[in-house]
Amino acid sequence: MIDVDGLTKYYGTIAAIDNVSFHVGKGEIMGFLGPNGAGKSTTMRVLTGFAPASKGTAEVDGFEVHEEPIEVKRRVGYLPENVPLYEEMVVRAFLSYVAEVKGIGRSKRRAEVDRVMERCGLTAMANRIIGHLSKGYRQRVGLAQALVGSPPVLVLDEPTVGLDPRQIVEIRHMIRELGREHTVLLSTHILPEVSMVCDRVIIINQGRIAAEDTMENLTRDGSRTLEEVFMEVVAKDEAFVDASAAGE
Amino acid sequence: MKNIWAVCKREFTSYFTTPIGYVVVGVFALISGLAFVLSLLTYVKMSVEPAAYGYTSVPDFGETFLSPYLVFNGILIMFLSPLMTMRLLAEERHRGTIELLLTYPLRDREIVFGKYLASVGMLLVMMCVIAVHLTVVGRFAPLEPAVLVFGVLTVVLMGMAFLSMGLFVSAVTRSQITSGTLTFGVNLVMYVVGNIGEKLPKTYPAPEAWPEAVRSALGGVYALFRGLIMELPLDAHAKDMALGVVRPKDVGYYLLFTAFFLFLTFRALESRHWRGKS
Repeated sequence: MIDVDGLTKYYGTIAAIDNVSFHVGKGEIMGFLGPNGAGKSTTMRVLTGFAPASKGTAEVDGFEVHEEPIEVKRRVGYLPENVPLYEEMVVRAFLSYVAEVKGIGRSKRRAEVDRVMERCGLTAMANRIIGHLSKGYRQRVGLAQALVGSPPVLVLDEPTVGLDPRQIVEIRHMIRELGREHTVLLSTHILPEVSMVCDRVIIINQGRIAAEDTMENLTRDGSRTLEEVFMEVVAKDEAFVDASAAGE
Repeated sequence: MKNIWAVCKREFTSYFTTPIGYVVVGVFALISGLAFVLSLLTYVKMSVEPAAYGYTSVPDFGETFLSPYLVFNGILIMFLSPLMTMRLLAEERHRGTIELLLTYPLRDREIVFGKYLASVGMLLVMMCVIAVHLTVVGRFAPLEPAVLVFGVLTVVLMGMAFLSMGLFVSAVTRSQITSGTLTFGVNLVMYVVGNIGEKLPKTYPAPEAWPEAVRSALGGVYALFRGLIMELPLDAHAKDMALGVVRPKDVGYYLLFTAFFLFLTFRALESRHWRGKS
């Protein structure tokens, strides 16, 4: 469903991501794991058509994001980091606007908005102003706008940041549920989250992919914790970078 | 087309779910109303005693009241337009919602036209204030249809030009304050530059001693720049049109001005697709 090949993105002379390639199959929940500043958000921004890549290709459902951005955007629901929302709007009006720009006809719009509000537990908040909502509800509104129109691919950038433990459990549960119908690419730097939610994991460090495997293989069927795997992979990667820098 | 409408509708509603829409329309109604009453009173005095004001007969209504009043409204819109345009794209960038806007299946032109039309919608709300004034005065003095139609058209065209410029500035800035101040500054320069044009001598004052070829070359360049400066001010093309004298170059000026800045806005928005160093 998602095919990323040799993706590189420079900010000035700094490579935020360097030659990143991976594949996410249909119906998979892929965890994108890495320390802060590793390039998780950058990869997602390129994949959703928000920022251009300097090199490489990213395809969603066979459409290249730079070549056919509209087709890609039709198939991707995106929850950006920090959940930017139109503060002054009412929840229902905002979701209805999202449905409209995603091309859902007037007759179906109301039902679609009701469906995603139901799904995200927002029905009681339908007429609240978004700026007045708590962090947990804002996160749900963010998730709801990504779900509008049931796009086959969901790209969620740190969906559990800043939530309390109960909300985190709820959101994770929701993402697991969503994984049944959607292909999900999920980024996080919280390790247990990945083991609870994802089928496969990509560990990214300093803009490069350090490891990619299923949960079972990485943890050797539970004999190691993901923390150990993560620290090992990151350390190995840094040693490799130091060695290659010394070799030059 | 449907998407333009969706963007426009959201943007226009936002003017009135935040105080800004009420403030802008309210201030416009207040100042425009004051100007209307004051200039009407002056006109009444003039028509009672034309000799005291240097007229031999009752001065023409359109020329001494209606046209200056409409041009004044256009200039008032110039002062208020930064408040209408400063948030259009700058705020999306500041709040991060641009990340949503640009990842929805929208084309750049749908975003630009949608936002622009929302601000033009605000302009039309302001025109309703003018319509009230004109209806009131129309009950007492017959208004010449040409003056009325083209006078109102002048204000709309002026407003559209200011708004397109503001939209462009908003597209290249991140903070609303920067966006608004810059728009205001450019508007003022466009306005003041007319006064400079009037002060400039008609021909380039080159010393006689210079060779004829240099003098004529400099004179040509000078005439071009002087002409540009004279034609540049946004109100220079309004005065005659507000009297019902419509010249293609005046209408063309406003339309080209608007088209130029909308074009720049497209480019500014599109520039994000320009790939970085490879």
